[in-house]
Parts: sequence; structure tokens; C-alpha cells
Amino acid sequence: MTTTSTPTPSDDAPLPGMIKSDLLAGLFFIVLGLAIFYGAWTMDRLEIRRIHPMTVPGLVPGMLALALTICGGILAFRSLRTPAEGGWQQLSGAVFSVAAARAATVMLLALIYTLGLVGALPFWAATGLFVFTFIMVFECWLSEPRKPWLKSLPWALGLAIVTATVVTLVFERAFLVRLP
Amino acid sequence: MFDGLIMLGGGLAHFLTPMSLFNIAWATLLGIVIGALPGLTATMGVALLVTLTYKMAPDQAILCLMCLYCGAIYGGSRTAILLSIPGTPASAATTLDGHPLALSGKAGTAMGLATTSSAIGTVVGIIALALIAPLLAEAALKFGTYEFFWLALFGVIISGQLTAIDDPLKGYIAGILGLLVAMVGMETLHAHQRFTFGISALGGGVDLIPAMVGAFGFAEILGVMKRTAQARIISSGDRVIPRLSEVFQYKWTTIRSGLIGTFVGIVPGVGEDVGAWASYAAAKRVSKEKHMFGKGSQEGLIAAETGNSAVIPGAMIPTLTLALPGSAAAAVLIAAMFIHGIRPGPLLMVENPEFLYQIVAILLFSTIAMLVFGLTLTKPLLTVLQVPRERLMAVVYILCVVGSFAITQRMFDVYVMVGFGIIGFILREMKYPMAPLVLGIILGDLLDLNLRRGLLLTNGDPSPFFTRPISAVICIIIILTILMSIPAVSTRVRSIFTRSRGDVSAQG
Repeated sequence: MTTTSTPTPSDDAPLPGMIKSDLLAGLFFIVLGLAIFYGAWTMDRLEIRRIHPMTVPGLVPGMLALALTICGGILAFRSLRTPAEGGWQQLSGAVFSVAAARAATVMLLALIYTLGLVGALPFWAATGLFVFTFIMVFECWLSEPRKPWLKSLPWALGLAIVTATVVTLVFERAFLVRLP
Repeated sequence: MFDGLIMLGGGLAHFLTPMSLFNIAWATLLGIVIGALPGLTATMGVALLVTLTYKMAPDQAILCLMCLYCGAIYGGSRTAILLSIPGTPASAATTLDGHPLALSGKAGTAMGLATTSSAIGTVVGIIALALIAPLLAEAALKFGTYEFFWLALFGVIISGQLTAIDDPLKGYIAGILGLLVAMVGMETLHAHQRFTFGISALGGGVDLIPAMVGAFGFAEILGVMKRTAQARIISSGDRVIPRLSEVFQYKWTTIRSGLIGTFVGIVPGVGEDVGAWASYAAAKRVSKEKHMFGKGSQEGLIAAETGNSAVIPGAMIPTLTLALPGSAAAAVLIAAMFIHGIRPGPLLMVENPEFLYQIVAILLFSTIAMLVFGLTLTKPLLTVLQVPRERLMAVVYILCVVGSFAITQRMFDVYVMVGFGIIGFILREMKYPMAPLVLGIILGDLLDLNLRRGLLLTNGDPSPFFTRPISAVICIIIILTILMSIPAVSTRVRSIFTRSRGDVSAQG
């Protein structure tokens, strides 16, 4: 939400790439809505417990799924009707941009840390390793201009040790919270 | 009336202890720092702090969370003025005039006015909270199952409509997705497990705190790290403490913005950013110095800052009396209240009336703390803004992981956080607002339970949902809201109004 430019909410004209992404999202919501509706329709109606048929557990999810399908349909239909010259190129440009690569790197590092390191290593070690790698990757590799290795290394190392120690001590000793 | 004043006195006295004052000071200061740091928002701060306040006494925990919330909404203005980046979304409108003022060498004046305006805005909202909340709570006692169903639906719809001003459809979709998330797990009427796919951890549903930490924490980290450009900080040389004449120069704008902010706060799920934009737009419309707006208008800055701060007490009105969160951060506060055994809702004024006045007292204390820190700690806060985001975000992600894990101590919640973070980031990139999603998660159970319970009570007859007076009114508002969000309908309605106005002026 924090952007360098600050447009007022009303002067945001939809970009061609956004219109095409709306089409894809609309189709996705239609499929998701129909899948949830199927799940709600086939959900146990608890007839064996003789509950009122209007209070079956699948009632509200089914209604919401229909609403999602309708909204997805409107989104896709609206996107198809809006002219969007060069929309696909703009969308693929956004997906394969430097910004997207940076976001994907954060996701990758976060997933490796959360799914791989936490649990396999002691929490303090996993945390230190994550902080160190994160800082080094974004300061020495993915930044413009790149920082020299020797300048970032002490900071990355120092912050990794401090974070690992402080988080472990503060949460486990002061707040008595068990860590992963 | 006097009961209220006595309880307010009691609330103020309750927190006049060294421990409480210490908590007020650190939590407000932490809030200001979190708000000032781009990428750390008020909602994220409150969600992460819930973990740390877990072992505290309920009143002290809520005190810390509320102070952090107020501090963060104010703290965002500092970044907006000095960097032209809103520290939190609430300060987006502040950048329009705050930054040009800083560029013209009046950074100190801008920071001072932002501080006093935030304080005045909060005070206007506090007065409304103390006056309206008891009345609303009394009225809400008449609400039954049918009304609560409509209120839950109204919350999601209005939040979807107002948080996605350009495209309400995306707001509605976000709201429906949130409601669908709430459908996962054990339902409360027949204790049947829905959409759990045999995963036992899903039996209890998706917890709000990990979902919020993901949608407002991890998603924000991804958003911040995506950008390559770094902003330049403008240094301030002029005086920060404003003159009284400067503060009260635009007194009507201040009062109007305070009232607009409070009203926006009362509307469920519509937060500080909308409050600031609405106040700014209203101030611009009636100002004598319209041409100055966007070029360094003090009036514009005052309107935006008063507007966003007044939302906080305003948002507490439905939060406390109806358990409908007035903003995204208020949704976390509701979750925190439940963790600490406080039940917001119509019965709060019956079971625990002093709690409302304790909230009023907390808001007053945090306003004072905000005023003191805001006007004195200019230089240290400038240092905070210079922390490189590469170093900060790595640490914030660790806090997101610990924050989601600590409450129920299971890795499943960490996976929920990561999932919501990634989905939240993609949705944000496609301009879907997050507030309706969160509101949907918190109101889903209320909506589902009350609809089916209502139908059970009437043996399947849905007519009371439409014939009971309060139900009928909320239902009509919902239908009108949806109809007005359809461009073809709203254009036609507007043209009818313009034509009839034109006819009247032609006749006159």
C-alpha cells in the first residue's frame, strides 16, 4: 500500500494489463465458486439427525459460492468488453519484471526458512541464517546499485546474531512463549 | 449522564498507575515508530503485539494494543511529510500537502500541525465514542438473530464498497473470499465439519491473527521489497511546535474532518485511509484556498490528519457495542479481546460497562503521549526513517513467524500466515482491498449462524428477515448500496438528481 506516487483514489484509470489480469482472475473465481458450490451441494445434510432442511451446513457456503461465481462472471465479462490494447504484453511484462523477481525471491527465502529450516535446525540457527541470507541477497545482489560484499557482510552477520539471540531470549525467557 | 462521567473518572483513575503510564509511553512510542517505518502498518503492529501481550492482564494488554494503534496511525504522517511515502495507508492523503510543505522548507510546521491535528481528531472521536456508544449499545439490545445476520452482511458489503472506491466489485469479491474462509472448520449450529478435507488442524477453522499477520505483515513485506527505488528524506530546520493561531486557523475544517473521520470509523470495516480521503475531499470542496490543495496547503494537511485519527475512536463504537470491527486493526483488537476474555457486543454495557470508559481513558492518555512524543522526538524519529528496509524486513518476517506461531503454538498457523501473505500480496497487486477480506473472516460465523438460526426459529420461513422493522431498513440499505455500485444505475440516478436540480433552478 505504500507507494512512491500518491494518486487520489478516483484518478486511477485501469491499465490494459490490469484488465487482462481481471479476466484471468474472473475465470479463476468462476471455477473456484463452482467447485465450492459442488462441495456445499454434496455436503452432508445431516438427514439422519433430522435437522430442518433450511439449516443444512452447506446452505451459506453454497450461497456464497454462487455469489463468488456471479462476481467472477461479471469481472470476466467486464474485462472482455473493455478494450485493452497490448494488455497481454503489459501483463507478461509485469509478471517477468525485476519487481516481480524481487518479490519472488522474498517468497522463496521465506518458504525455505518456514518449510525447510524451521524444525530441521534449532530456531536460533534457522533465524540467523535467514536474516543473514536475506540481507546479503538484497544488498549485494538484487539492489541498484549493488553494495560491496565487505560493506554488507558485517551488518548482515551482526544483525543475524542479534536477531537470533534477542528473539529467542525475549520470547522464551521474558514472554514465556515456546518457539517453533 | 452522571453515571457516565463517574465511570469515565474511574477509567482515568484506573490507568493512573506507574505500570500503566509506562505501558502507555512505550506502546505509543512503538506505535509511532511502526507507523513511521514504511511497510509496517498499524494493523500489522497490533497483530504482532497481540503475542507479546498474551501473558499480560486484560486491561493492560488492551491498553498496549490501543496505544500502539493510535501511535501508528499518527506515526505514518512523519514519513508522508518527510519522504512522500505514506508510513501507513492512513497517511496517503497527508503526502499530498505534507510533502510539498516540507519541500518549501516548512517540514517542522507540517510535522507540528500533523501532530496537533491528530490529537484534536482523536479527541473529537473520543467525545463521539463516549456519547454514542452507550446509546448504540442500548439500541443493539433490541437486535435479534435476523438483525445480526443483516448487520454482518452490511459490514462486508459496505466495507467492500468503500475500501475499493474505484471498483466495488473487487471489494465484494474480497469480502466473499473472507466469508468463505470463515466457512472452513466446525460450524456452530450442528457441529458439522466443513471443508476440512480430513486435516485435523482445520477443524477449528482459520485463526484470525495468523491470517491478519499474513495479509498485513508478510504481504506488506513482499510489497515493500518489490520496489527498487529508495526515497530521499527531507531534513527539517524550522520550528516543530506550532503556534496556537496556526492550529486553530482552520477550526471549522478541523471540526468537520473530526466528525467525518468519526462517521467513517463507525461504518464497519472502513478504516483510517478512507477517513483521511473523505475529510480531505470535503475540505477541498468548501475551502477558500482550493488552488493550494496538493501544493502545500496547511488546511489540506490538517483535514487529512484530523480525519484519519478521528477514525480510531469512531471505529471503537461498532467494535465495542456490536462486535463489528470498525477498521482492520479493530478486527485484531476484537480477536485480542476474546483471547483476554472480554466479550464485545451489546451485552458489554450490561456485563462490563466500565470497560467502555477504560477505552475512552486509554485513547485520551495515548493522545497525550502522542502529542508529547510527536512534538519533542523529531531527531530520533528521523534516525528511525533511515533504517534500510533490507535489514528491517528480514527481522519483521521473523516476527511474523513467531507472532503467528506463539498464540496456539502450532506450525499450521505459520503456514496459514505464509499462505495468506502470498495470496494477499497477489490480491493487492490486482487492487483488491484487504479490509473486506478480514471483515469477512471475522463476520462469517456471525452471518452463517444467524441466518440458519433465524430459519430454524421460523421453521424455514424467511419472512422475518424482511418484515421486522430494523431488518427491513438494513436490508434496503444493502440493496441500495449494491445497486449504486453498478455504474449504469448510479449514472442514471445521478442524472435524475442533476436534472431535477436543474429544473428547480430554472423555475426559481
